[in-house]
Amino acid sequence: MSQTATTAAAEPRAWGGGRSPFNVSYGKMMMWFFLLSDAFTFGAFLISYGTTRFFSAVWPDANQVFRTFPFLEGYNLPLLFVSLMTFILIMSSVTMVLAVHAGHYGDRKTVVKWLLWTIIGGIAFLSCQAWEWTHLHAEGGWWGSFTDASTPVSAFSNFFNVHNTEVASQLKNFPLHGLQATHDFFNYFFTITGFHGGHVLSGVCFNIMIMVNTVNGTYARRGHYEMVEKIGLYWHFVDLVWVFVFTCFYLL
Amino acid sequence: MSSHHNQDNIQHLYEGDQSKLYSGVMQHHTDVNSVESKNQVKKIWRVFWILLVVTVAEVILGMFFSHNMPKVLVAVFFLALTLFKAGYIVAIFMHLGDEKKNFLITVMIPLTLFIWFIIAFLSDGFFWLHMNSASPTR
Repeated sequence: MSQTATTAAAEPRAWGGGRSPFNVSYGKMMMWFFLLSDAFTFGAFLISYGTTRFFSAVWPDANQVFRTFPFLEGYNLPLLFVSLMTFILIMSSVTMVLAVHAGHYGDRKTVVKWLLWTIIGGIAFLSCQAWEWTHLHAEGGWWGSFTDASTPVSAFSNFFNVHNTEVASQLKNFPLHGLQATHDFFNYFFTITGFHGGHVLSGVCFNIMIMVNTVNGTYARRGHYEMVEKIGLYWHFVDLVWVFVFTCFYLL
Repeated sequence: MSSHHNQDNIQHLYEGDQSKLYSGVMQHHTDVNSVESKNQVKKIWRVFWILLVVTVAEVILGMFFSHNMPKVLVAVFFLALTLFKAGYIVAIFMHLGDEKKNFLITVMIPLTLFIWFIIAFLSDGFFWLHMNSASPTR
């Protein structure tokens, strides 16, 4: 028998049926396609934000808007709190991938341990976000805020980098541009971080569900921990979105 | 169904026999303390450190330097680092790097639409500002 004939017999045509050409189960593939669609949702949000920003002659400065830290309200600490949030989310992504890894080896106890840490990380992130939203709300930012044309510049100039002379003169000569930009900024900020936070919240719920199932031995009886892997994909995607939200809102 | 099918076992109602259709990684791994497993865990932590260092570098740049640099340079720098981090998350944490190449391509191709999407919308925003004001600052 020739070499080619042997190979052909051992490996039937990939798309001939009876096997998975991508070597991925249905559920996992559908999770990937769902995440792909979700990527377009977030992408549309962020590109819309970017377009509005390009529309605007002035734009709030992240180092001015995000400069406080809980219990240290008097200090100027730009980006420090959001760095903590980013760290928490990266950390929870690591604990999640370690849970998936333990699942590959059917190590039930370790899966539970890392899932628990992931849930704690998710709740910590949501708590941080709750604080940040409360803080910005106290500063006047919310959906539909800064719409009154008679608002004095002093009510929103603290969100801008007024040390930049160009920005300062824009605010002085065209205060309505600044008002409009502040309004747009907060609308996008609360919508996008809110949508992301909703994903984190549902991810925490899913993690609690699969942790309960793991403790109950559902996956041990099923013979595989693929559900942990699928929820893991979702969780990493949420972290991935944050990487982009972080860049667009806090760095650029 | 096999002859030793257990009537008490209701697991097939959940996910059917999906796991039998593909030779997922589960079948090959049994010992969590094996060298292979430990290497995998090491890889995960290495990616964690990479992500952390890149994020810290971004924050330092954003805190102290980005306001005194050309805007285009800042944008290119941050976007490159963001894509760098995203690549690690998708390839290692989401294991897309371990999937079949055809599946990877299937997932990645639709994302290339973003290239057009970003260019079209941002240039439109820029053009609008150009037509409506004398001195764009931002």
